[in-house]
Amino acid sequence: MRRLSIALALGLSVSLTACVQTRQYADLEFAPPQGDYRLLVMRPDVQVSSLTTGGMQEARADWTEQARTNIISALRAQQAERGGKVQVLARRNELRGVSEEQVADLERLHQAVGSSIALHKYMGAYLPTKRRKGLEYTLGEDAVALGRKTGFDYALFMHAEDNIASTGRIALQVIGTAGCLIGICAPSGGSNEFAYASLVDLRTGEVVWFNVVQTGSQLPGVKFGDIRNPQGAATMVERLVGRMKPGRIARQRMEKR
Amino acid sequence: MCMRCLELSRRSLLIGGGAVAAATATGTAQARVRPADMVPLIGPGYKAVDVDERGMWQQMDRVEEEVAGSNLLIKDPKLSNYLRDLIGAVGGPAAKDMRIYLARVPDFNAMMFPTGFALIFSGLLLRMRNEAQLAGVIAHESGHFLRKHQLRAWRDMKRKSDLFAIGSLALAGAGAAGGFYTGDIGQLAELGTIMSLLQYSRAMEAEADALGAKLVAQQGYPAAEMANTWRQLIGEEEASARYRRKRRHRDISLFGTHPSPESRLADLNIDAAEVTVPGRAYDARRARYMQAIGPIRPMLLDDQVKLNDPGASQYLIETLARDGWDGPLRFYEAEVWRLRNRPGDQQRAAQGYATAVGYPDAPADAWRWHGLQLMKQGRAAEARSALAHYLKMKPDAPDAPFVRQMIGA
Repeated sequence: MRRLSIALALGLSVSLTACVQTRQYADLEFAPPQGDYRLLVMRPDVQVSSLTTGGMQEARADWTEQARTNIISALRAQQAERGGKVQVLARRNELRGVSEEQVADLERLHQAVGSSIALHKYMGAYLPTKRRKGLEYTLGEDAVALGRKTGFDYALFMHAEDNIASTGRIALQVIGTAGCLIGICAPSGGSNEFAYASLVDLRTGEVVWFNVVQTGSQLPGVKFGDIRNPQGAATMVERLVGRMKPGRIARQRMEKR
Repeated sequence: MCMRCLELSRRSLLIGGGAVAAATATGTAQARVRPADMVPLIGPGYKAVDVDERGMWQQMDRVEEEVAGSNLLIKDPKLSNYLRDLIGAVGGPAAKDMRIYLARVPDFNAMMFPTGFALIFSGLLLRMRNEAQLAGVIAHESGHFLRKHQLRAWRDMKRKSDLFAIGSLALAGAGAAGGFYTGDIGQLAELGTIMSLLQYSRAMEAEADALGAKLVAQQGYPAAEMANTWRQLIGEEEASARYRRKRRHRDISLFGTHPSPESRLADLNIDAAEVTVPGRAYDARRARYMQAIGPIRPMLLDDQVKLNDPGASQYLIETLARDGWDGPLRFYEAEVWRLRNRPGDQQRAAQGYATAVGYPDAPADAWRWHGLQLMKQGRAAEARSALAHYLKMKPDAPDAPFVRQMIGA
């Protein structure tokens, strides 16, 4: 997922100055889950790093643990509001009747499918045959089998990362921005967040909804949330899965009624 | 510089890294790293200490999970035990903490990850002529862990990118650009940035060589075999390039990318002389090695030959044959010719199969191809008997019914 995230981040960060971006795609027939549904959250892939002066991401174990805990509890709270029953996997061996390998296989399959979605929906390699068709991707029989065995209706795959600008990085930003006053602008990216979520309907195996959130700023000190604290994590979860839009056909049907 | 490294403080490591960077930048020739100076920087049961190291270890746990669960791994229990014992012997103080995974990738590579697990490719096992050569590679990789090279490389890279950013006020982007050759193993894990940790500097490769030489010699292996491994690799790459009419160039983590092969080979030879104690008996343990990899050797040869790199395959087979020809080597030599299919290669291959079946350990497929070649030449009676031999050895072969019908059995 790291490679996928880097690719996505590169694609989205081109003209970024200071903003929060989200962009979601849904299956044409997708209606956001409501009421009594069962959601399986696959092990959330969370990474918090310190952004070095030179712009490299230095992983931080303590921050990552903290953020993972926050994201999971924010997700639970958010789904409970919608009426869903949620199980969050912390490890691959926590599902009764499903082996570690099967979970790993599904994670890897989703990794491949997710990369494909990233490439063809977000990075500009649009497919002419898929225009106006929403999201047409599937994890196939494996996902259906998992749903049948466990009784879950949906599986959610998610990745969230937060890169916190170090003091040195902020200083670099300050100098770069201050340069604008004398005509030499050299802004550099500061703290940023990146996340994506992918919802799979375990009754059909299809990826029915996909969303990417990216926040970032070239202005020193400006930050749109921090998943190391509970509020920041709740904001991130809300941006990511809080406003699921139905697919086009499903929406038209709703409007007709 | 390295005496300073021994102080083990973060500051001295950074200074050391800076010296490396400076030397690389100016092209200053470096003094050879002596095996005697190479002391492991970590002891048994080592765990990450500093903040950056702890972050690295946490990421690596996930990587190891992916590697350990990969379907590319060769999970033969006997062979796994053998490799574990080997890293347990030449792994220095951390020997008992290190893990080793064998992936079926027909390429020459081995890598050590910052948390002390090593990944070796099956192509490496094929190329080693004895246990000493394999122990040398494993000891070299252990050296990277024992000298905390991944952490030092990361800090060096961080420092350089910081300087670069300050100097030019521009994004270094070094982190994202992990252009690193990993063969098929790239699919294994979320490597990206992580793989760039394994790009060591020239000085670190020299350290790993020196420490590796010391570790293998302590276990009674002739350290000179490390230099032989290196020589074989250069020879193979040249042969491969010559066949394709290209110049030798390939990135292999095991041997780093920057150091000139010649100087490295020379250093390894001196290292070997230094760590060798006069009067002590050293043994390359070839018999033990051949016994250990015996069950998978045909598969290793088969994978190599099917890479469609006849220059390398032929060199490799001839190199292995310096320890004596056998049935499988003769058979796969003929296979290289048959698949290469240059003028005259079919005759060469036919002769090769005929030679191969003369060895008692000729594989069943050698008899099959020998039979088919005889059939082509119109020597039907001999062909039938060769094919019958094939069927006797492999009655359940996928093409057995077809062959049976062909020979009228």
